[in-house]
Amino acid sequence: MKNFLIAKQEWITTAFRIGFGGFLLYAGGLKAFDPAASANATAAYKILPTDLAHFAGYILPWFEVALAIFLILGIFIRPAAIASALLMLMFIGAIASVWARGMLIDCGCLGGGGAIDPSQATEARIAYAVDIARDFAFVGMCLYIFKYPYGKFSLEKKPETTNHTSEDQE
Amino acid sequence: MSKPKKNSVKSQSGDPFTRWLVIGMVTLVVVVGAGFSLLSENKAKDAAFTALDTFQSLGTLPATVDPAEGDGIVFNAGLPIKIDIFEDFQCPVCKLFEDPIGGYLTSLVTEKKAQVTYHPLSFLGNGSKDDESIAASNAAYCAVDEDKFLDFHKALYDVQSQVENSGFLSSENLITIGKKIGITSSTFADCVTNRSKLVNVVAATESMDRYGVRGTPTTLINGKVWERQSPGFDLNEFKAAVEAAAK
Repeated sequence: MKNFLIAKQEWITTAFRIGFGGFLLYAGGLKAFDPAASANATAAYKILPTDLAHFAGYILPWFEVALAIFLILGIFIRPAAIASALLMLMFIGAIASVWARGMLIDCGCLGGGGAIDPSQATEARIAYAVDIARDFAFVGMCLYIFKYPYGKFSLEKKPETTNHTSEDQE
Repeated sequence: MSKPKKNSVKSQSGDPFTRWLVIGMVTLVVVVGAGFSLLSENKAKDAAFTALDTFQSLGTLPATVDPAEGDGIVFNAGLPIKIDIFEDFQCPVCKLFEDPIGGYLTSLVTEKKAQVTYHPLSFLGNGSKDDESIAASNAAYCAVDEDKFLDFHKALYDVQSQVENSGFLSSENLITIGKKIGITSSTFADCVTNRSKLVNVVAATESMDRYGVRGTPTTLINGKVWERQSPGFDLNEFKAAVEAAAK
């Protein structure tokens, strides 16, 4: 497994960049073009004061779009990867927080959001678990991209293939 | 890791200027986008009141607040067909219900075809002292005293902000909404400002459990929840359900 992760590193990095970046672009884009729903969705978490939550709801989707473009183009890779990992950790914390407080909301991860009907409590908790698992997977991908930022189809190329390649990447 | 790598990135990516140019362009586009998102809320607020410029009043329509109905606002008490509407004035889906179906409900009231009871709930607010769902629900009860509930009810949906708890439903704005549709008395303004109907507001929301209502909008026809089949709110479907209940 470990060998595979290193031997095929260029392709794995590329797959993660495009895969995660593509998802982020999709998720961010959906929310960015429905700002009111996004503002409502962040307020529904009841973590930030309402006004700040609305502000975050307007800004965050665009931040996601920016990170996605960087990852997909393969430019500014490492900062984008680490920022994405932090963003995902933040989402994990937020979802865990609503779950722990027994609230029932749609995470608004892919647009939508807000309170949901108590008759859907089980579905909501399953959705929390799935979303958190998914975001942890994304954190893993981001860390991998951070460690091995260079792959195929990337504006930033791997530094010259010299003998001390591994040294560059450590 | 830093030194050899930095050098090699520079030499390999060729032109650091191009790199930063791309980064800068992406950032610029995104910042502009975010700016438009922020502005969209303010624009919507400005546009809201103009929606009332062409408001058609129904005139005075008396209603009663009935403690036996969870302090619901009852029109045509005693008619055999009974319709109950549970709503929160901040609930966007309630607007999706009101827009196609509100006019028909109004006609049932004015043509005395059914007993229609409105339950203005207030659970979507943020719980602050300016809680907007409570403010709106309170103002709606104030409008009952003016015999203008249905007008005020419609006006609240006409101006509904797309963003809940955005600060739009302040006492001041609620009074302005009243003025725009012809509720000009100072008793109404005082009632809104002082939250004089808080008892009714609380009673209405507390009655949710009794009716088994868990969300808004919920509509009961003769005590039974209207389960819609179509994904949206379809006027013909609703009409058919009401007419079926009349038989």
